[in-house]
Amino acid sequence: MNPVTGGAFVLATVGKVMIFFTMLMLAVMLATIFERKVCGFMQDRSGPNRVGPWGLLQVIADGLKNLLKEETMPEQAVRPFFLLAPVLAIVPATILFAVIPFASPLPTQWGLVEMIVADVPIGFLYVLAIGSIGVYGVAMGGWASGSKYSLLGGLRGSAQMVSYEVALALSLVPLILLTGDVRAPEIVSMQQTFTAGPATYSTWFVFPLLVGLFFFFVSGLAETNRLPFDMPEAEAELITGYHTEYSAMKFSMFMIGEFAHVITVAALVTVFFLGGWDIPFWQGDNIRVLSDGTVIGEPTWWKTLLTLGAFGVKTSLLVLVFVWIRWTLPRFRYDQLMDLGWKFMLEAVTVYILVIAFVILGIEAVGIPAGGWYAFVLFLVNLGLAGALFFAMDRGTLIRGGAKGAKSAGGDAAGQGG
Amino acid sequence: MAENGANAMVTLTIDGVEVTVPSGTRVIEAAEHVGVVVPRYCYHPGIPTRPAQCRMCLVEVEGRPKLEPSCTLQAADDMVVNTASDTARTARQSVIEFLLVNHPLDCPICDAAGQCMLQDYAYVTNQLESRVDEPKRIMGRDRISEDILYFADRCVICTRCVRFMRDVAEDDSLIVAQRGDKAYIDTFPGRELDNPFQGNIVDVCPVGALVHEDFVFKARAWDMDATASVCPGCPTGCNVTIDTKENQIVRVKPRHNAAVNSWWMCDYGRGHLVMTNRGVRAEVPLIRDGERLKPVDWPTALDWVAEKIDALGSPGGSAVVSPDASNENLFYVHRLLDRLGVAGAAFRVPQGETAALPTVPTLKLRADRAANVAGAELFGGRRVDDLPDGPAAGGSTADGAAGGVLVVLDDELEGAGEGFGGSAGFFLYLGTRLPGAARNADAVLPIATFAEMDGTFTNFEGRVQRFHQALRPPGLARPGWMVLSRALARLGDGEAVNEVRGAFERMAAETPAFAGLTWDGIGLKGIPVAGSAAAAVGVAASPEAGA
Amino acid sequence: MPGDVKVVERPRAESSYVRAAAKGMSITMRHLLSPNKKTQQYPDEKWELAPRTRGTHRMAVHEDGRAKCVACGLCPTVCPVNCIKLVPAEDENGERYAAIYEIDEFRCIFCGYCQEVCPVEAIHLGVHYENAEYSRERWVYDLERLVEQEHDVTALWDPQDPASQ
Repeated sequence: MNPVTGGAFVLATVGKVMIFFTMLMLAVMLATIFERKVCGFMQDRSGPNRVGPWGLLQVIADGLKNLLKEETMPEQAVRPFFLLAPVLAIVPATILFAVIPFASPLPTQWGLVEMIVADVPIGFLYVLAIGSIGVYGVAMGGWASGSKYSLLGGLRGSAQMVSYEVALALSLVPLILLTGDVRAPEIVSMQQTFTAGPATYSTWFVFPLLVGLFFFFVSGLAETNRLPFDMPEAEAELITGYHTEYSAMKFSMFMIGEFAHVITVAALVTVFFLGGWDIPFWQGDNIRVLSDGTVIGEPTWWKTLLTLGAFGVKTSLLVLVFVWIRWTLPRFRYDQLMDLGWKFMLEAVTVYILVIAFVILGIEAVGIPAGGWYAFVLFLVNLGLAGALFFAMDRGTLIRGGAKGAKSAGGDAAGQGG
Repeated sequence: MAENGANAMVTLTIDGVEVTVPSGTRVIEAAEHVGVVVPRYCYHPGIPTRPAQCRMCLVEVEGRPKLEPSCTLQAADDMVVNTASDTARTARQSVIEFLLVNHPLDCPICDAAGQCMLQDYAYVTNQLESRVDEPKRIMGRDRISEDILYFADRCVICTRCVRFMRDVAEDDSLIVAQRGDKAYIDTFPGRELDNPFQGNIVDVCPVGALVHEDFVFKARAWDMDATASVCPGCPTGCNVTIDTKENQIVRVKPRHNAAVNSWWMCDYGRGHLVMTNRGVRAEVPLIRDGERLKPVDWPTALDWVAEKIDALGSPGGSAVVSPDASNENLFYVHRLLDRLGVAGAAFRVPQGETAALPTVPTLKLRADRAANVAGAELFGGRRVDDLPDGPAAGGSTADGAAGGVLVVLDDELEGAGEGFGGSAGFFLYLGTRLPGAARNADAVLPIATFAEMDGTFTNFEGRVQRFHQALRPPGLARPGWMVLSRALARLGDGEAVNEVRGAFERMAAETPAFAGLTWDGIGLKGIPVAGSAAAAVGVAASPEAGA
Repeated sequence: MPGDVKVVERPRAESSYVRAAAKGMSITMRHLLSPNKKTQQYPDEKWELAPRTRGTHRMAVHEDGRAKCVACGLCPTVCPVNCIKLVPAEDENGERYAAIYEIDEFRCIFCGYCQEVCPVEAIHLGVHYENAEYSRERWVYDLERLVEQEHDVTALWDPQDPASQ
């Protein structure tokens, strides 16, 4: 069966856009209630439980409330940008999803429909590009509110996002080194069939690129403005930062944007490091559509559903990790945040790229074929790096207080140590 | 007085303190000289008879086998009295316990609670529980006169009320009916209690058995503020205490002044004072603005009035003052009239029934129903029967033509015609109220009543007596002397005074009759003005004057 | 960094961020999985109040439904915040009663002196706390409202331990 083309392709794409957008919004709704439930449980509370079964309809109630509430417009606000900011917060997080493959391709009578909205050739470069736009919503909202707290929040947001953007992008370089391709479906396929030949088995990149996952995840946290990196909101010092002046649905849109961002980052981690929609220990889902239209494997509708489920489970677990971190760790101080970004992450990622590059060169020079041993060697190297990294961090040299750290410049040392 | 002469003195020892008193003094009175108040019910210093029947004032006298009632026991030389010995105390405690056998203990609803001698003494004995098992006898209450209620259960049968009526008012209308625990106070069969001085039986009652109907359930003793004042009902000037609660007069009680009212006052005075709560008051200064009177603040009003008066010069005219105004108010009006060339103010005095308390010659309800008739006369007032009317109603100028000033000080202007004051060149009305006849006034200045300010009255015999502020004046109303001193100060006559002391001292300095008097020197008992009837009798005759 | 900032030198073993973070994460995860939730489902299950809880007032009544209050004025006298307004009057039987009896529960500090001082055990504080209102005026309880209250009245002392030992 060949991939759909022509009019059917356009129709399928429109359908996918609508279905996936709806799914994303539903996922956002569930994520909000999920977060509240989880944080409630972590604090030995029940979480919302008054509206609907287990409080599931709380989201609907909140949505209704936000629709019916008064939309305030601060006198000092710059009206067009004030209105634009929430849109800018929500749009990048949403359209990021376009390049994420959800499930194995679905066979239909018109042809094979790939479960990805847009299989763009530039792959995750698109992710990096669009992800950077997210900062405009924060910065613009903070500035256009005409409030000092909002402005501070917006400034912090932009500084933070710019800082971690670099680490985010660099942390994906080892992935390219390993895969040689930037298309998301291709990266998923790589993980499914890391070895060539008939005895294929999955090797998720979480193993060969463990430290890379760590860097990507930390940068992703910072990108989504969530604890411990929620400096732009920082309700204790900035009320709620860039959305202090927003109310009702506009405020809600910031929230939707944040949760959409969380889900997107979780989905990206899934795709890049956890095998995407791959179901572990099963080769039946190894379905691959080459760029010339050739289909490897046997797509069926139930495989699509199963893989969609696998993708959902992985993403949900990652969202849980996000929430888990948020309700455990305290907020960084601003200088610590900047130190971590510029003095540690950047250097450490650079060093990491070099190490991985040399190791890959070495492995290929030795002649180990892509496969289990190849990944195992990389995994060992990563474990070593992780050990060194955590040892350095654990000594309290990287995230440090005041004068002492300024004298010892521990960030660089740790980076080199890694 | 004892037969060995008024000047004979005896020395005795009371509770270890030696005291010398005139012969004939009772021990209970001698004890007060050393600060010992022997508990008493039936004894009252204003009632001459002492039946010694309540047995409350029993004291131990050394060398005598039994306890003696100190209210009848005459002080004698070398007597050693012990008011607080165990025997005396036990005796008193027993009396209280007997009194409480049938007492309903309804202090929470009793109007005397807090001012009750039974309550006080019961606390002192500290016997917290009754030893009586039998049910209490219940008698209920009775209306023994039109406005006095009698709660028989609370009564301790001290007979102060009966003896006041019989021995002070000389009106045998009250009796003790029945005997023993069934005894109660009642009117003599076929008689009614309608004496004009009957309200005093409520004051003498040591407990809450007799209550005036106007006061019943009205205020608790501790809610009220007491202020020393003078009754404005008639020129007698009885010394009274005004009890106020929440800026309302709730009760008036006589205050002892041997030279004026002894311990008593008449019922007319009580009712008259409580009535002063009523009516609508002038609360804001008004000045003429074309057809209407415009409310303004004090500086504006006073500036405007001063300017008008200044422009008028000395046109002559007429004035009406109230004989209820204080000396200070009258003095300042007098100053103002002098400046305007008005010779003497007219005043009218309402007339009423008279009544006398036979045993207290100075205490009479007099026909003149005004407090300060003597003061009004002292300041050159002319007593008239009717308001100045005809051509003079507008205040005639010095040469008799209409167009002079008309000044009215707190006269209600009863009987004034429609156009009263209309032809006056300037019509100034100072008043506590705003009668319809004042609508032609050019300026209306609201002033305080006597209860709302400090001041003095001169009574019928020329005794100057102080009264004190018991209430807050309503709205912007201020004491007349304060208002007029400010108006005059704007005209260059004297200074604005804020305290009555200043007003009084200026009056004393500029008025021959008050020469030499000082606010402090008057004290709470008053001093006769120079040349008055009271002064002629001499200060010596009223030892408490000036105390 | 300004010169007067105090720098706390912590021992290295204590400044272990990774271990501390891991420990924190394990604690939160343990609580996440623990079924032992502390939340009281308030409107469904209510807190059991102590018998001496002092809440909004209630007026005791005679059998015929009249308030027991004799308007003696002790409670407005003893009230430390002047939240009781009382105007006594005489009824048709010549008895003293409260023509106006109002307690401003907003002003009230629930000290319980009024209940202690009441000679006829008329005014009581209540074992009660659900008294939200939509307007401030509704917080001034008049006599009728005080009589209508149905909650338990506050016990002045514990019957098992009258002397509070």
